[in-house]
Amino acid sequence: MENQSKPTVVLGVIGADVHAIGNQILEHALKEADVKPVNIGVMSNQQEFVSAAVETGADAIWVSSLYGHGEMDCRGLRDKCKEAGIGDILLYVGGNLVIGKQSWDDVKDLFLDMGYDRAYPPGTQPETAIDHLKEDLNEYNLEGEINAASPAY
Amino acid sequence: MSNLKNKKIPEEEFFKEREEVLKAWPTGEDVDLDEAIQYQKDLPEHKKMSARLMQAEEEGETLIQPRAGVALPDELVELLSYLDEEGEADLLPVTIDSYTRQNQYKEAEQGIEESQEMGRSMLNGFPAVNHGLETCRKVIESLNLPVQVRHGTPDARLLAEITMAGGFSDYEGGGISYNIPYAKKVSLEDTIRDWQYVDRLIGYYQEQGVDINREPFGPLTGTLVPPAVSHVVAILEALLAAEQGVKYLTLGYGQNGNLVQDVAAIQTLRELADSYLTDEGYDDIKLTTVFHQWMGGFPQDESKAYAVISWGATAAALSGATKVIVKTPHEAMGIPTKEANASGLKATKQIVNMLKDQSLEQTAKLDREKDMIKKEVRAILDKVKELGEGDWAKGTVRAFEAGVIDIPFAPSKFNKGKILPARDNIGAVRYLNTGNLPLPDDVKAFHEERLAERGEFEDREATFQMVIDDIYAIGKGMLIGRPRE
Repeated sequence: MENQSKPTVVLGVIGADVHAIGNQILEHALKEADVKPVNIGVMSNQQEFVSAAVETGADAIWVSSLYGHGEMDCRGLRDKCKEAGIGDILLYVGGNLVIGKQSWDDVKDLFLDMGYDRAYPPGTQPETAIDHLKEDLNEYNLEGEINAASPAY
Repeated sequence: MSNLKNKKIPEEEFFKEREEVLKAWPTGEDVDLDEAIQYQKDLPEHKKMSARLMQAEEEGETLIQPRAGVALPDELVELLSYLDEEGEADLLPVTIDSYTRQNQYKEAEQGIEESQEMGRSMLNGFPAVNHGLETCRKVIESLNLPVQVRHGTPDARLLAEITMAGGFSDYEGGGISYNIPYAKKVSLEDTIRDWQYVDRLIGYYQEQGVDINREPFGPLTGTLVPPAVSHVVAILEALLAAEQGVKYLTLGYGQNGNLVQDVAAIQTLRELADSYLTDEGYDDIKLTTVFHQWMGGFPQDESKAYAVISWGATAAALSGATKVIVKTPHEAMGIPTKEANASGLKATKQIVNMLKDQSLEQTAKLDREKDMIKKEVRAILDKVKELGEGDWAKGTVRAFEAGVIDIPFAPSKFNKGKILPARDNIGAVRYLNTGNLPLPDDVKAFHEERLAERGEFEDREATFQMVIDDIYAIGKGMLIGRPRE
């Protein structure tokens, strides 16, 4: 029962990116925060994110990208979600998203324009995104079940 | 197991496979091996990596080398020339982009086109296969230093063909070190076999009188890797390369942050590799070492990042490494500007110059670290050889299956992932969990004691939380991840 009402997050590292450590820490942090992680790991393509989200009825997709190709890899994920019938799913993205030192505000706008709900710069603690997740899910307040499961927020 | 063996590939078999390799992308057809060997021979002496490394080894220098690569050749030359002239680099790299590393040449092509349209690099490195050998040669001819290919490619056969014919004189990677930390589901048998091809190619150049240097990738996953774990991989890749005819080898280690342990690591890497290569009958190998400045998370603040860079430069110089791979003050933000890259180099140059004539005293603590690393490496390699029934290639595959070799935090499903490292109370990296590593009891007891000491000091049990604290620590301005609050 309790498992069913936990929010579920699909997480992974997109593209040809093999950075594995942050991904493992994020999974651990989600578990600690009573969120169910569905970790598809490194080197995952957009379709793998979407399929995992459909299969698990996930509440959010968290995309990580550390190697600089984020701009090319992340484009179009919102459309793929729409095609799969999960157009409203929360999409977060974080990491070293572009090549070179660019203003974070510009980078953030770039990814929000691509259809991501939230974008995070390098060095963000897992707790920051987890707090946002809980806020965002509260707003959606899906049938009240998330509130009932975790009265702490 | 297939017929994987640590045995020099017969020439006929090699040339047959070569035909297939060159067909994987149209630029492969331009490679003519005899012509390429002549091109390599005609390179001026100051552009040959092996010669420069040997000179440094004799003179007790620690050379400095950046990482750098962009999508387009003109911009690449501009960047690398800047790192030479303004950054005072001794050796140059060309870092290859991540699509090429996965043999995704179509995506790399798109990256080249977008980079041309956008007027900035959309790739995190240079797609050398797509550009082909003539463009590689233009790059080499426009530069004044030896240039190494640095990448992370599980199947790097075509890349090796093109870049070696293109005038590069050093090639990084190996069947283990460019698989386990760089791939998710590529079998170790395949990558060991594919890297035997790369080593055979470079061995072939060697037979024709061209000294190309090979460098297994030392730091692996780059975060809290115990020295013995990376040494085992480096030595195995050295043995595999030597069998294929490679003569010039640079073995590497990634800084952990405790000075005594880091110095012990470079000293033992040299001693152990020399001993294993000689024992196996490869007695004409020219060995050098590379020390990688801290490969884990960096502070955002640039001054703090310079401190991490400088500490790495210090350890590199005091350990007597032949070269040091340099980080930049933009490390926490991703790929650096050329200015940031040059400034990391200059900070490093200042330190290696100042420390050129100094070394660390051989103290009891340094001896203890060295002794511990040697015991661990020998215990693991004994078991690898036993599992392989005398064959290092077979033994490596079986050792990974059994968790006898195990790399922390690696993405590959062919890695057990059972061992867990953590820092002790003076910041040296120990095993919190030794998994299936065949370590002697006294070695295990030593690691347990060191971690118990820290646990007592911090008044907490050593758990995964401690490991996470250690992973973030340097980024947050500390070496050891002490409890929060």
